[in-house]
Amino acid sequence: MDITSPPLLPGNYAPILVIIIMPLLGAIVNGIFGKRLGRSAVTLMALAAIGVSFIACVFTVWLLIASSHGPAPVTRLKWDGWEWLRLSGINDIGDIPITFGFFVDALNGVMSLIVTGVGFLIHLYSTKYMQDDPSYHRFFSYMNLFIFSMLVLILGNGLPVLFVGWEGVGLCSYLLIGFWFKESANAAAGTKAFIVNRIGDFGLLVAMGLLVRYVGALDFTGIQTGAAQLVTPVEIWSGTSALAYVAARPFEILGITGAAHWLLSPGYATAATLVGLALFLGCAGKSAQIPLYVWLPDAMAGPTPVSALIHAATMVTAGIYLVCRMAPVFVLSPFAMFIVAIVGAVTAVFAATIAFAQRDIKKVLAYSTVSQLGYMFLGVGVGAFTAGFFHVVTHAFFKACLFLGAGSVIHAMHARIHDTNAAQDMSNMGGLRRYLPITFITFAASWAAIVGVPFTSGFFSKDEILFQSFTLSVASPVASGTLETATGPISIFVSPPWVSSVLLSLGTLGAVMTAFYMTRLIVGIFFGRFRGWAIAAKSAHSSEPEVHSSGPAPHESPWAMTLPLVILGTLALGAGVFNAAVFHYTPLEHFLASSFGKFENIKPRPNSEQLEHVLLLPGIFAFVLGTAWASWVYLVAKGQPARRFVERNPALYQLVYEKWRIDELYRETIVGTLELIADICVWFDKWIVDGILSRVTSFVIALLGSSVRLFQTGRVQTYAAFIVLGLGGISWFMMTPHAEAAIATDHETGKYKLSAEPGIGYGYRWDSNGDGQFETPSFGDQLSIDVELARTERRTVTLQVRDIFGREATRKFKLERPAEEQLGPRNTRTNNNPDAAAQPKDPSARGQNELNAPSHAIQPGQPQ
Amino acid sequence: MTSLGKALIDFVPYIMAFTVGALIPSRKSRFERFTLGVIGVLLLAFVRGLWPGVQQSSAPAQEWPHLLNVVVFLPMVAAVVLLLLPRQSAGFLKAFTLGVLLVDFAVSLLLLRAPMDVGWHFQYIAPWLPRFGIRYHVAVDGISFWMVLLTTFTTPIAAIVAFGSIKERIKDLCFALLLLHTGMLGAFVALDLFLFYVFWELMLIPMIILIGVWGGVERIKAAYKFFLFTMAGSVLMLAAILYLVITHKQIAGYYTFDYLALRHVNLSHTAAWLCFGAFALAFAVKVPMFPLHTWLPDAHVQAPTSGSIILAAVLLKLGSYGYLRYCMGMFGGPAWAVGANLAGLVIVAGILYGALVAWRQDDIKKLVAYSSVAHMGFVMLGFAAATQASVQGALLQMVNHGISTGALFLLVGVIYDRRHTRSVQEFGGLASVMPIYAAIFVVVTLSSIGVPGTNGFVGEFMVLLGTFASQSLGSFATIQATLATVGVILAALYMLSMVQRMFFGPLSNNANRSLPDLTVRETVVLAPAIILIFVIGLFPSIFLDRSSQSVTAVIEQYKDARRAYQDMPDDSNRAVLLPRRGGPLEQGYPEDPSAIPELPTVASAVEAKPNSAGGQ
Repeated sequence: MDITSPPLLPGNYAPILVIIIMPLLGAIVNGIFGKRLGRSAVTLMALAAIGVSFIACVFTVWLLIASSHGPAPVTRLKWDGWEWLRLSGINDIGDIPITFGFFVDALNGVMSLIVTGVGFLIHLYSTKYMQDDPSYHRFFSYMNLFIFSMLVLILGNGLPVLFVGWEGVGLCSYLLIGFWFKESANAAAGTKAFIVNRIGDFGLLVAMGLLVRYVGALDFTGIQTGAAQLVTPVEIWSGTSALAYVAARPFEILGITGAAHWLLSPGYATAATLVGLALFLGCAGKSAQIPLYVWLPDAMAGPTPVSALIHAATMVTAGIYLVCRMAPVFVLSPFAMFIVAIVGAVTAVFAATIAFAQRDIKKVLAYSTVSQLGYMFLGVGVGAFTAGFFHVVTHAFFKACLFLGAGSVIHAMHARIHDTNAAQDMSNMGGLRRYLPITFITFAASWAAIVGVPFTSGFFSKDEILFQSFTLSVASPVASGTLETATGPISIFVSPPWVSSVLLSLGTLGAVMTAFYMTRLIVGIFFGRFRGWAIAAKSAHSSEPEVHSSGPAPHESPWAMTLPLVILGTLALGAGVFNAAVFHYTPLEHFLASSFGKFENIKPRPNSEQLEHVLLLPGIFAFVLGTAWASWVYLVAKGQPARRFVERNPALYQLVYEKWRIDELYRETIVGTLELIADICVWFDKWIVDGILSRVTSFVIALLGSSVRLFQTGRVQTYAAFIVLGLGGISWFMMTPHAEAAIATDHETGKYKLSAEPGIGYGYRWDSNGDGQFETPSFGDQLSIDVELARTERRTVTLQVRDIFGREATRKFKLERPAEEQLGPRNTRTNNNPDAAAQPKDPSARGQNELNAPSHAIQPGQPQ
Repeated sequence: MTSLGKALIDFVPYIMAFTVGALIPSRKSRFERFTLGVIGVLLLAFVRGLWPGVQQSSAPAQEWPHLLNVVVFLPMVAAVVLLLLPRQSAGFLKAFTLGVLLVDFAVSLLLLRAPMDVGWHFQYIAPWLPRFGIRYHVAVDGISFWMVLLTTFTTPIAAIVAFGSIKERIKDLCFALLLLHTGMLGAFVALDLFLFYVFWELMLIPMIILIGVWGGVERIKAAYKFFLFTMAGSVLMLAAILYLVITHKQIAGYYTFDYLALRHVNLSHTAAWLCFGAFALAFAVKVPMFPLHTWLPDAHVQAPTSGSIILAAVLLKLGSYGYLRYCMGMFGGPAWAVGANLAGLVIVAGILYGALVAWRQDDIKKLVAYSSVAHMGFVMLGFAAATQASVQGALLQMVNHGISTGALFLLVGVIYDRRHTRSVQEFGGLASVMPIYAAIFVVVTLSSIGVPGTNGFVGEFMVLLGTFASQSLGSFATIQATLATVGVILAALYMLSMVQRMFFGPLSNNANRSLPDLTVRETVVLAPAIILIFVIGLFPSIFLDRSSQSVTAVIEQYKDARRAYQDMPDDSNRAVLLPRRGGPLEQGYPEDPSAIPELPTVASAVEAKPNSAGGQ
């Protein structure tokens, strides 16, 4: 087949639409018509949709592989789509058209293979697992919608389209966690997942805003091209602002001048760091990293296939995908990379500690997922993008297999117990390998992969991460290591050399713990004797423990559930062949190279080649130690050491069992504060805002009304009395002389005219030259007087009036002529012709500049 | 054969759209099937007809100058006719009113035929009170015509809802609805400030009647509150209008109330600030902006469902539309100067405060009302940021808010009709008894919190990203935009908590055990809104393209006005008339009557039209 023929490459590659639209079609058909179609049709629709999508993915990736060689290699296939909306760059310069288009390259090609491939297997599995659910069609509609959203996420051509999928998968996750919505806890878990994810989405939105501001592009190609503009200092803390002053004040008072000085000097970060951290907040939300991991364990409230697909294999790895895709931005900020790596490493260890104490097998797997995601971030955070991404691939296989295996176990247990919590409790299991042989074998294969048994897939991927975390480092993106700012050069953060040792130690520690709790899990489920013969399950209806001492023995699941297990288990064992870096056989890395390119500032430490085989040891050591230790504790000693430990440290155990009470901590601090603020707002709204605007105003009006009403008594005598009082007042006013005058001012000519207010029987005399002597000693009838002043001259003009009773009143008027025409403080122009002031500065840019209407200057409020 | 075949192929998508629409309902209601099918066809025609780049008819369409007159006054004429109809035949009155509103909607769709390039379209000018320079001047541009369509789209829906739940005083109801319709439309298309003020006040009366007659228990108080708040603002606006007119008379020598002329009056700083304040107050009450929002929860809670729909979907938009058109159009200087502060206010006291207060409400209608404060905060933020993307986003957000909040009130009305309570506590687990209702409620909720793919996202996204790149907010743009983005989290918080408490969990309240799901009438009314949620979400360009040129022009004018304001000396107390730039935006400028020998008559105004219609 001639793959370079125009219809397929690279203008508009239509099969990409098949990949995306099929799951959407499945979702719509099952969602709207599913109830009427019946179960078999729903099954057919759902499976066919994902199956066709998978085949299209295989074809596309094959096409990419086949055309990646030769003189004109094709590394991406795209479909341009339609213009979605249009943004503008800073200061309205530059259009940023956002197209709703998709593309495939090596990175998202592999990812879409996993999504559709593993997705298909899990769909197949679900057809039996969800067989008896009354909302069968709804389940598959959501699942198909999830696959669709996930494909939009990974195939989108820019951050906005990615964001559509990003929130879409969050929405599907919300819907599927709360799938059995009749239980309040499930619905609450769904809401929690959505809101915590939204906090991450907030980060992604901010990152997009910053990219628009500093790069002016949101599509991946544009970001890659313009990423260099992100190495620019941004003032994030102004040392001169009022806030800085307020913050520094306490330190000054306390005499800690160092802190005060630090607060009063400006702080800078590169735009790349800001974008990187904002993006990572989004990743932490979706991929359940500290501090936003709390939703993922609760998400296990959803059906088990959902946990396998969304909360283990695909959606939660979207964060890694985003970091890989935005690698050109991340590598520009060693600080952001450092944060990614350290958060990943700490999460890997922290989540593993919680997994130690959980009895619910899904919870153990959930924390294991959080921990493994931490490994992936550790990998991408040190710049080992391929290694991190390869762990996404292998993790998808073994964790999906583990979850589906757990589902198979739960399926078998549920047949006996009919209580979701008890059916997932490890303390009711044991010895199941006799009843569920296929499940056991596949589970064991995945266990081998996750604990890192040599030559399984997990061994290769985890080992590569540990190796790279020690050897790789991110150097400054600019050669000099400093950036010029307004207040002098600032140096770019580069992680100190000891960090790599810390990362390696944390990684190894996490690996030991992983081996321990996974061995505990597999021993607890499959070894020993079956503890489920007599299960004390608290029934929902009575508080008395209900004892099931009889019932069917657990049985193996049907083929539709075991076949996916076998396939995934095989892949978990054998997928290492795609990227066996230890043996220098890395087809995946070669394939992905076209997506990642080469980053100049990510450098391995010298003689890292020699370390390669030495650094295999920590991984193998972790596996041996963890497994042996856990086997001794749980297999040989039958869990005695663990029980003794719990008895000796009950508080510690309780704390770990309750997940370090992080949920409670968040609830008390963040949610509690928010609730308090909200309550204050409600109170403020009711009593202050509405109180002043409605109650106080209405009270004032009512008060005025009532006081005026007092006078309206309706009694003629009162009215007559008021009339007399009023007449008296007026008479008194009339009989008192008032010396008042209006001044007509004209600073321009210096002529001023004072006009006295006339009164009955008044006589006037003036002192216009300010010498204290009235010009006419007697009172005349001169009503007005003209005064002329020189520049800057001041004068006091006196007016005296006398009424017919001989009483006199005097008033002085101070006149002053300013030196020059007063100008506005801001205005530096000497020409103050207001008509000219309104003229545009550049008439040529104004188009037709015709003045049709005559323009006069007036003084507002004084009609001419 | 070929042409016939072509025609057939052209028809196939429509037939498919009809089939899909007709297949969706699972009930045995032929009416429902048929209507949904028709809605499907109309939708397809709508999207295809508006698709960017689709050639309109080959010759530039002749704009019929009376189109706006018909759209605006048809309901009013119908209202007069309605007075002559017998009160007893309620069914006929309902059908008549609904028919008129639907015809009005259909006629208003003709607006879409204009390319909506820069300038005024469907302009019609006639002298009204020539002595005072008052003219009947109506026109639309790329901004107001979406508002007109939103209005003509919303009122029929509100009418159907009202006819479903209100059983008494039908004639009064019909009259009020028709009159309200004219008032709202008129306020959007008027370009003469006197005419604008008349329409602005005209719509107030029917709205008070709607709340005060068919409202809840405390309806009189709510109606008073609504009236007094609005009145206080608009009286000040009237004073500012008169001041502007007199100033124009003094500098240009003749009276005019025309927007085109008055926006050339460059007032002195003090006067500009006072006039801006008066206008801004009137619009801030309507939007509503903190702290003038307290009438809104009361009005929404007490208003009947149809009143709430119109209030949320259209009346609030008049506030933001007025701010864009008049405050930013005529007082660019003060508007620019308050821009950053306004943005801060709407973020902290609108988006965040509104969301937090909404979160703690138990009454669903109150919750939605406070969420309106938050949503309208995004709109005002878009205007304050004043970039191409943010203003376009804000405009789209106005339409979006109309659709999704209108639909939310409709949905609340559905449950209120069944249970006569709006307290969230009374519900729980409704998803098991009313699955279709729950599904639609969730879809509208998603639109309201701005999940990508729905309309709410596009508006918010454009506003936020426009704000990030805003120049008018200065160095605060990034911080303010980041803070506003927090609102996105809070929106999810309050809406999803409400949805969770209402629809999920066990069915705890026995009173909810046998609630019927959506009726055919309710489904049919909701369907267009649901479809538009996705159409705007996926193809916003069909909306944005038609407004982009007008928005560019508005921003240009805004910047010019700011420049003129800055050139005006601080202590000058003289107003000046800005030079005219000509071009399509000043087509219809009121000339000095003394300079033109004879007054323009109706006929000459109409004749002047054709050469200017597709002028550029």
